[in-house]
Amino acid sequence: MSEALESWFKGFLEQVRIRKRQYLLGALEIVLSALTGFLVAALILYFIGYDPWYIFEIMLTYGFSDLGYLGTRAAPLIMTGLAFSIPLLAGVFNIGGESQLYMGALLGLYVAYVTHNVWLGLIAGFIAGALWGGLIAALRVYRGINEVITAIMLNWTAYYTIIYIILVYLPNPKQSHLSIQLPVSEMISYGETFTLAVVGALIAYFILYYTDIGYKIRVSGANPRSAVYAGFNPKTAIMASMLLGGGLAGYGGTLIIAGVTGSIDTTMSTLFGLGFTGIGVGLLGRNHPIGIIFSGLFFAGLIIGGQWVELLTGAPPYVTDTITGIIVIALSMPYAYRLLMNYVGRLGKK
Amino acid sequence: MTSNEYAVEMRGIVKVYPDGVVALKGVDFLVKRGEIHGLLGENGAGKTTLMRILYGEIKPTRGEIRVFGKKVSFRGPWDAIREGIGMVYQHFTLVPAFTVKENLYLSLLSVNPKARLSDAISKADKIAEETGLRIPYDEIVEELPIGVQQRVEIIKALLRDARILILDEPTSVLTPIEVRDLFKALRKLRDMGITIIFITHKLKEVKEITDRVTVLRKGKLVGTVETSKVDVKTLARMMVQREVVFKIEKKPAKPGEVVLEARDIHVIDEEGVERVKGISFQLRKGEILGVAGVQGNGQRELAEALAGIRRVSKGRIILRGKDVTGYNAYQRYMKGLAYVPDSRGTGLIPDMNLVENTALTNLYRILGWARRIKWDRAVEITSRVIRELEVVAPSLYAPIKHLSGGNQQKVMVGREIVREPDVFIVAEPTQGLDVAATEFIRKTLLRLRDNGKAILLISTDLDEVLQLSDRLAVIYEGRFLAMGRPEEFTIEKLGLIMGGIRE
Repeated sequence: MSEALESWFKGFLEQVRIRKRQYLLGALEIVLSALTGFLVAALILYFIGYDPWYIFEIMLTYGFSDLGYLGTRAAPLIMTGLAFSIPLLAGVFNIGGESQLYMGALLGLYVAYVTHNVWLGLIAGFIAGALWGGLIAALRVYRGINEVITAIMLNWTAYYTIIYIILVYLPNPKQSHLSIQLPVSEMISYGETFTLAVVGALIAYFILYYTDIGYKIRVSGANPRSAVYAGFNPKTAIMASMLLGGGLAGYGGTLIIAGVTGSIDTTMSTLFGLGFTGIGVGLLGRNHPIGIIFSGLFFAGLIIGGQWVELLTGAPPYVTDTITGIIVIALSMPYAYRLLMNYVGRLGKK
Repeated sequence: MTSNEYAVEMRGIVKVYPDGVVALKGVDFLVKRGEIHGLLGENGAGKTTLMRILYGEIKPTRGEIRVFGKKVSFRGPWDAIREGIGMVYQHFTLVPAFTVKENLYLSLLSVNPKARLSDAISKADKIAEETGLRIPYDEIVEELPIGVQQRVEIIKALLRDARILILDEPTSVLTPIEVRDLFKALRKLRDMGITIIFITHKLKEVKEITDRVTVLRKGKLVGTVETSKVDVKTLARMMVQREVVFKIEKKPAKPGEVVLEARDIHVIDEEGVERVKGISFQLRKGEILGVAGVQGNGQRELAEALAGIRRVSKGRIILRGKDVTGYNAYQRYMKGLAYVPDSRGTGLIPDMNLVENTALTNLYRILGWARRIKWDRAVEITSRVIRELEVVAPSLYAPIKHLSGGNQQKVMVGREIVREPDVFIVAEPTQGLDVAATEFIRKTLLRLRDNGKAILLISTDLDEVLQLSDRLAVIYEGRFLAMGRPEEFTIEKLGLIMGGIRE
């Protein structure tokens, strides 16, 4: 085992040596993007009458001060980031992370509640998300339906269905705006929540880079013609990437239930938007599971910081959302642009 | 010097591509008004480059172009269109999801932004009347047969008042009946005074339809002749004549047992066109079977069908005594077949490193418990590829796109060799390589043959197949028109068969 580790480390160093220039350029790109993002955000803040320094100070200090809370908020974002990135590596655009997370939260909550076992809940959450993601993939693979359209429709289908189920079948007798509630004694800690998210990302990393199917997923996305040449079934890669991505989103949904809320509220306010934010997390993490752990943390920090800004300055949520949005767009743009050009170029070649 | 006799005068055209390839070495090309002028040559002769220059798509490095006596320098196709030049590509430029009339309207708009849909239709009606090229206006383009799409494409060019029409291998996608109709229409167009340039490699068609023909070979002009004054043999000789090929040291072949057999295989492509129309052969251990032919005669489809990438619509494929017709590529690779595709864009993943690229066809050899990839095993295999094929690379972990074309090709060939399969299907193995890399790859193929491997070598490079093959087949329109020992073919005979004429 230690030998394998050693050879891995040697390979890693070699990789760094050979791609030094590429990594340096990458780092420079991130720094420049961040500067641009903060600059644009500062200008906007200045013109609408806020002190940019003060706002940024709150965002960054309060956002990243409570590490336990930060990790917990990051956990679902890491999972939805992976839900976006893994299919993208196979060349599929999964914007259904949102509803895959909902489905995982719902089934995870139900199973954990009934069995009094959070771990079974997490497994159920994974399966629910995987099936919901797999549905999108199956429609794409066997019926040729564009995955983006399916995902958008399924997002809303899941949203309203879950609200209905909570209101009708799983209501909380004590608090009318909540679903059934996991007892606090059965929930997991903040530290455990984050750790479980990191474990999920590491498993994704292992699958993508150290297994047969992961390799097939990456080849299918990087050069579909090569995948066909090698005799890989493109359908398998798409299905596998969506099952894994959807499953991780569902697992992330259960993590919120098991680690933070213990229930789902009838307006879905604790879940809404996490899947969409995952798109930014995935892009910022450069589609790499390890990068996504860090970008998830960064995002969570911005979101928490934004809430403190609202609290301390009385700024409306639009202001902080705008700031977060600008920074995220600036940071993801160069990479997203390259992906898009790649995609468009491929269309032209067909 | 300028006279009104010529529709197109291209003089001293030289084209050097940015990568240093010299595609045209000073070509004169003169087309008279109102004639059908054939442009004949093998792959890489420079036909398409010359026509893309005339159509303004690329700029000549040197040389002068006159259209109807007027000196021109096109910045793009739009300039050429304005001078009355129209081009019909082999792959059409219609919008597949639009109806015919929408496509026609779109093309008219590009020259006349104020045009109305009714203008397009009335004009098209008139053209259809005069030429006999009937088209349905309300059908969606992608639902139409290829022959009809081509008619739409021609009318589209005429709609923009083209007086010179360039047709790039127009018959390659057509059925015999459609070809007859096309020729009828082309003659009518000629009678209307439209000048037609007809790019082809089919000798019979040159004889049938053209008034004069220009032959190119390796970027040089061989000559322009009046079609009625030459026979097909002369044309064939003009097309393929070459200096005595440089010989490679070669031991006599010792063919062994049959390891790959194709029994009457047929392949239909994505567009529904039958590309392979009944090919049968036996390939033995220790021999190289060469497949010569002009590009686009079903070579790729044949190779992909043998490799398991494409389904055959009919026929059987036997690999080492086992019927593998139902196997996919991965399964056939495991059974001892290797395929080196004709394009590095297919065989390699540019952004992945050497190890990951080597893993592509070696995947079954590096899987461990629970389908885990043993990367250290992949690294070993890659090191062997690098050592045995003398690949020059900065590191095993360098993205393959950072390697030169020759080294990329060596990786693509080498990763198959180290698997030690019995049967190699190799397509265009030296395409785009320099002399040293070409020699190296060819010698490697001979060494494999001497070691008892069976090799099917598909190449449009005549020198290559003549040098390496122990037996030679000539493919034309999806069929083997001839098969024999390379010595049995004279250059002239090869040229004739490649042009579709079997004596």
